[in-house]
Amino acid sequence: MNAVEVRGLSRSFDGRDILRDVSFTVGHGEIFGYLGPNGAGKTTTIRILLGLLAPDTGEVRVLGRDLAADDDARARVGVLFENNGLVDRMSAAGNLTYYAGLYSVDDPAERVDELLALVGLADRRDDPVGTFSTGMKRKLGIARAILHRPEVVFLDEPSSGLDPGAQRMVRDLILELSRREEMTVFLNSHHLDEVQRICSTVAILAGGRIRAFDSVENLTAASGRPAVTVALAGAGARACETVGGLPYVTECGVDGDRLRCTLADPAAIPDLIAALVGAGFRIEEVRRSSRSLEEIYIEHVGRAEGGP
Amino acid sequence: MSTLSVIARREMGLALRNRSILISAFIFAIWFPVMSALGIAAGAGDDATILAGGIAAITLSLGVFMGYLFCADAFLREKRDGSIETLLCAPVSLQRLWEGKAAGVAVPAYLMTLVSAAVTAAAVSTLTGIPVATDPLLLLHLAVVVPVWILAAAGLIGAAQLALGMRENQILGFVFIFGFFFLIFALQGVVPGLSVTTEGIFAAAGLALLALARFIAGKVTKERIVRTIP
Repeated sequence: MNAVEVRGLSRSFDGRDILRDVSFTVGHGEIFGYLGPNGAGKTTTIRILLGLLAPDTGEVRVLGRDLAADDDARARVGVLFENNGLVDRMSAAGNLTYYAGLYSVDDPAERVDELLALVGLADRRDDPVGTFSTGMKRKLGIARAILHRPEVVFLDEPSSGLDPGAQRMVRDLILELSRREEMTVFLNSHHLDEVQRICSTVAILAGGRIRAFDSVENLTAASGRPAVTVALAGAGARACETVGGLPYVTECGVDGDRLRCTLADPAAIPDLIAALVGAGFRIEEVRRSSRSLEEIYIEHVGRAEGGP
Repeated sequence: MSTLSVIARREMGLALRNRSILISAFIFAIWFPVMSALGIAAGAGDDATILAGGIAAITLSLGVFMGYLFCADAFLREKRDGSIETLLCAPVSLQRLWEGKAAGVAVPAYLMTLVSAAVTAAAVSTLTGIPVATDPLLLLHLAVVVPVWILAAAGLIGAAQLALGMRENQILGFVFIFGFFFLIFALQGVVPGLSVTTEGIFAAAGLALLALARFIAGKVTKERIVRTIP
């Protein structure tokens, strides 16, 4: 049984299709990245999974249950929306204690202190949340989401509005949770670099449909043809002219002294190097390069915007 | 501790820490009875039953208004800032969430109403020289009828605030409160004064309103709430 299952999910608002026949699964313990442009339907998908919205057609299950109709199952799931679910006038500890009561957490005082220490807010436990920075609120929001040790946690844009330091902290925290508590993490994000670093599986949603769904490894390795980046000791532009016409080079570009070639066949890499050396170029470094998740994302979203 | 109690205690705590609402509530709790005491004392003369009836009518209207005042913090605030969405994901039914919030709103509203009733009774007694605070029917009114009406008002207004959009809430908020006032005045027109019959009718009407509030709250869906978050 998967932690999250979505099959043939469709939903429209006021006659506008937001989700069309969306299907994917998330395995237990995975960190799953759900990507898509603004308005693609990512939050709508999360809301349907959490039982806040009903699907028009299709079926969703979290831990094999329908959260809309199952209070007990909701106790096994954590969620962080953009607003963190916190009350500014209450203290950090007060906010967590309230949710501990709602989720019937055992030994709430101990758990609250443990989590405040985990997110680095132990010294601010009695301060009103309204005095916290955006990053501190987000950290507390994550602590709140995992307070009851959920098996699956849904994080909706956990890094939005955070500075790079806080983004890194959130990223490390997610990895730590996945590893230490064996939580399944459903990460809804725009932050492609973050997703590429921490997610094991990714789905790209655009135009209401899933455009790609695979492990990050497979997506970045299998998409397109093999590419190689060659760092030259000068004359990059001339190198491109030299190798651009070779039959096994399908694409060639230059960035300063770095030559980037896409090849028809990975076995052609030694031939490319030999051709460059033979033409008198001095090579400093050769690196086999895969495409970034960002390139894959832009390709899929661009294709979706161009047509169905 | 039950989830109902957890929710109600938090709403009470937040209400008692909301300075702006507390100041508004105090102003109404003091100004309203002092002004109305003058009218009650002038209109009722030295008839203790009519004086107590006047206080009963004023405290009921004020109690309903207090319920409305405190609802803004418990129901509307969480909708405005979106944190209601997180609460809806907790292992608590929507009905239980509504009950906890309504109860949490009703308690501070009731306490403020009691303060107001005490001030009104003291002012009327000072102006007329007749002690009205010990009237058993007035005490029954304050102990039973007033809290039931406050709970009904908080429940109905809270359910409406959950179900309606922010703009609709701004427009219809006063409609609800004036609807309650109209109902109170209409019932007082049918059964005036303070008697066992009056109290029985008002208690029954309050319970009917509470049942209506519960019925309406049962019809509100999570989808409706989420789709009306601004």
